[in-house]
Amino acid sequence: MKTNKNISFEEIGKELPFSVPENYFEQFASRIDEQIGYKSSGARKLFKPWMYMAAAVFVGIMVLTPVSYNVNNKRVIAQNKDSYESYVLSQVDETALMDCYVDDASKK
Amino acid sequence: MNPNEKDLQIQLSQPNKRAGAFSTLVRSYQERLYWHIRKMVLSHEDANDVLQNTFMKAWNGLDGFRGDSQVSTWLYRIATNETLTFLANKRMRNLQSIDNDEDMMLQNLQADTYLNGNELQLKLQKAILTLPEKQRLVFNMKYFDDITYEQMESILGTSVGALKASYHHAVKKIEKIFSEEE
Repeated sequence: MKTNKNISFEEIGKELPFSVPENYFEQFASRIDEQIGYKSSGARKLFKPWMYMAAAVFVGIMVLTPVSYNVNNKRVIAQNKDSYESYVLSQVDETALMDCYVDDASKK
Repeated sequence: MNPNEKDLQIQLSQPNKRAGAFSTLVRSYQERLYWHIRKMVLSHEDANDVLQNTFMKAWNGLDGFRGDSQVSTWLYRIATNETLTFLANKRMRNLQSIDNDEDMMLQNLQADTYLNGNELQLKLQKAILTLPEKQRLVFNMKYFDDITYEQMESILGTSVGALKASYHHAVKKIEKIFSEEE
């Protein structure tokens, strides 16, 4: 591709006489991310997937532990109440118990 | 970065992965498309605007992308259309103040803050500005980016034969300008 006067495309080369501002492409990509509503890669890199998993497990434990404690606690109270009633009934004979019911009914 | 186009296409069609895949797409193609546009509009600010329009148009038109062509071809096609539309609008705006296209583009070239390079490179840019717009596009794609005629055909919708002729004429015209300047 030589010209008549020895100026050639080879001599000029394929480089462009243009430049871009510093960090232009990084900033451009982030701008597009914002416009399409995509969380920037920086924020995503801050937390690794296993961190999200660990946080989820921790929160799960924190939320479920009091529930489980309450359920168990109520069960123990209910059991205690049942055994207390059984104990009282075992200490009273049937006749005394009937007298007690009859007295109570006549008072009303 | 050279992402697997097939994987990207699949992810782009899935609503929950779409934004992430598009972000990867932007990072993969932004430089190539920027220089494709910049060579035509010359100023950085204009190239930045056109590039942004290109990606937003691609994002909004994702549902219309059926995967018949490669993602890169599709993006180049949008970028080219946006560039030509931008230049046509600019031409309309400057119709009364500037005598012709070449002067308008020369002003763009000289006013750009991000212009450097040596005398020969600038001389080539000025010679390219004397070409008709479509010839300028073909010359830039072939000479600077070494895009094959077949790829150009799918981007520009012009036959390989016509593209070869166009490039040949462009080279001859630039060589003539150089020879006259000496």
